[in-house]
This record gives sequence, C-alpha cells and structure tokens, in this order.
Amino acid sequence: MAEKLNVAARNALGTSNTRRLRNAGQVPAELYGHGAENVHLAIPAEEINSAIRHGSKLVELAGVVNESALIRSVQWDAFGADVLHLDLTRVKAGQRVPITVAIVLRGEAPGLRAGGVVDHVLHQVEVECPVIAIPDKLEINMNSLELGQSITLDQVELPEGTVLLVSGDQIVVQCVEAPVDDDGDVAASGDVAEPEVIGRKADDEESAEDD
Amino acid sequence: MALMPKRVKHRKSQRGRIKGNATRGNRVVFGDFGLQALQGGWIKAQTIEAGRIAAQQYIRGEGRLYIRIFPHKSITSTPLETRMGKGKGEPEHWVASVRPGTVLYELGGVTEEQARICFARLAHKMPIGTKLVRRRLA
Repeated sequence: MAEKLNVAARNALGTSNTRRLRNAGQVPAELYGHGAENVHLAIPAEEINSAIRHGSKLVELAGVVNESALIRSVQWDAFGADVLHLDLTRVKAGQRVPITVAIVLRGEAPGLRAGGVVDHVLHQVEVECPVIAIPDKLEINMNSLELGQSITLDQVELPEGTVLLVSGDQIVVQCVEAPVDDDGDVAASGDVAEPEVIGRKADDEESAEDD
Repeated sequence: MALMPKRVKHRKSQRGRIKGNATRGNRVVFGDFGLQALQGGWIKAQTIEAGRIAAQQYIRGEGRLYIRIFPHKSITSTPLETRMGKGKGEPEHWVASVRPGTVLYELGGVTEEQARICFARLAHKMPIGTKLVRRRLA
C-alpha cells in the first residue's frame, strides 16, 4: 500500500526561500521522469517522515499532481534527523524499477553457541522488481548458520518477479570466531613513540651526499 | 600502544578550527547502531582507547565494535617550568578532530537494548555530548 502525500506547487525557489519552506514544516521535492517536465513540489514533513519510517518507496501524490511516484533519493541533515530534500520519479503500473532493498537478519545462529559472532557483511542490495511489488526488506533466516559458515546472495529467497542486479556470490552474513580482546595492550602513560616523518630520512641522506 | 599514524608528513600541526557539521562519516555504515557526536571537539587517542575497552568489556564476544574515528592530529606542549619562547613544543599526544554529527563508534550483532547500555558506558568516557543512532534502512 503506497503512502499518500499531499503536495503543493513550489514557485519560490532558491536557498532562502527553501529555508523558509523548511522552517514552515514543509520539505522541498522534485518530481521528474518519463519525458515530462519536472515539477517543483512542497510536501509536509510529517507525511514524508511517516512514509520513510514505514519503509515506503512508492508514494501516491495528491494535490497539484495526482500520480504515483517512486522515492529516488532522500537528503538528510548532518545528524540524520530531518529530511532536507526529496527526489521523486514518475512510474507506471507495469514498470520494472531498479531499487535498493535492505537485508534484515532473523533467528539465532547456532554458531553463536559455539563461540562465534555473526558478521553482517551486506546490509542492502540492488534488485529489479515490478513497481507495484517492491519488497520492504529481504529477510534472511540464520537458524542454520553454523560457526565458519556463510550465507550468500544466491541463497536468499527473493519475492516473485524480483531479480538481483549484482553478483549472487557475495556473502551476506557469516558466522566467524570471536576476535580476541587485547585489553592489556594499552599504553599506561601518555608517552608515545613518534611516527615516521615522510621525506625526513631521504632529505637527511641527500644532505649527507652533498657534503 | 595508543592509536597514532604510522607515517606523517609533518610532526606538528596548527590548531585549526572545527567549523560546521560533519558531512562525511555521519551515517551508520558497518554495524546496526552508532554513537554520534552532538558537539565538536578533539578526542584523544587514549580516550578512544578507553571507550573501546569500556564497550568491549560489555559486549565481550557477542557483537562487533567498529571505531570510526582515528587520531590524525598531533598536539604539542611545552614542558612545565620552561621559559616562554624557544619555539613550538614537542608532540605530546594525538587527537581525532570531530565535527558535530560524526559517528564515533558502531556496534553490530547486538540488540538495541544491549547497544544502548554499551554506548551509555562508552559515552561516559567521551568529552563531548553523544547520542545513539540506528542504521537507516535502504
């Protein structure tokens, strides 16, 4: 189910106008694609935050434009708290789109009881899927992951109509031996040896040769 | 041995200013949770190491800890009871220059509850304000 976003036209462009827009609780957005002209939009920040929190990638725009759009990219502030800008692309019902989907681990690996740690190597993957069936996430069951074993992308069950856009031999998650702690290796005092200075030795040798 | 570079171009550096927020290194990349700086500042190599130990002692073999900052900057000082002048002092310690928003540490393979407790212990060691952040799903 696509989230509905109420959009308004944004006529005042530029840095200061956009800042004023953000201060008023709106987020600037751009709609483009399919050979049509791009449209500058303003969307309420709460609606965008809600859509992003629910993991929606497909949204229904209502207001100055009434069509489906895909969230192509999201710009965040430095703290990852507020959305600064949104890129939306027009999509048609039967269209297939390339998209990045999160990989989520489920269950408990038996390798943990054997003293291993789970190393989640790949957190997201590029897939192509119909726009009406974009998966929120790909779930991987770790209940059979023993110590020293790994799960590759080929072993991940994909929803119907979804294909990988990357090589299937990439490791997604592995159970490896726990790294050894080296707590005792800390220098007790602030006195430290100095690092090598690049070019220092070469210069010294050159000056010696000149002499 | 505290963290410091293996090779440097110059032994001493000017102090500089920490201006603006972090535009890089401000997302959780390796783990599931991160400790994000809310203020800018210098974090000593010893402090980074103390934080690592505090976190490692809590997670001990369960999850994985990632350190996202490195002390690239040398800080000099003149010895006590020394007369003024005679040039810049000798490098005494190394610091990481941190902008607000930088992710300092990351944790993977643990629950949010564990990450919260672990980062609370770790945050006590830090000279700046921090908060817990989660990995953002694609």
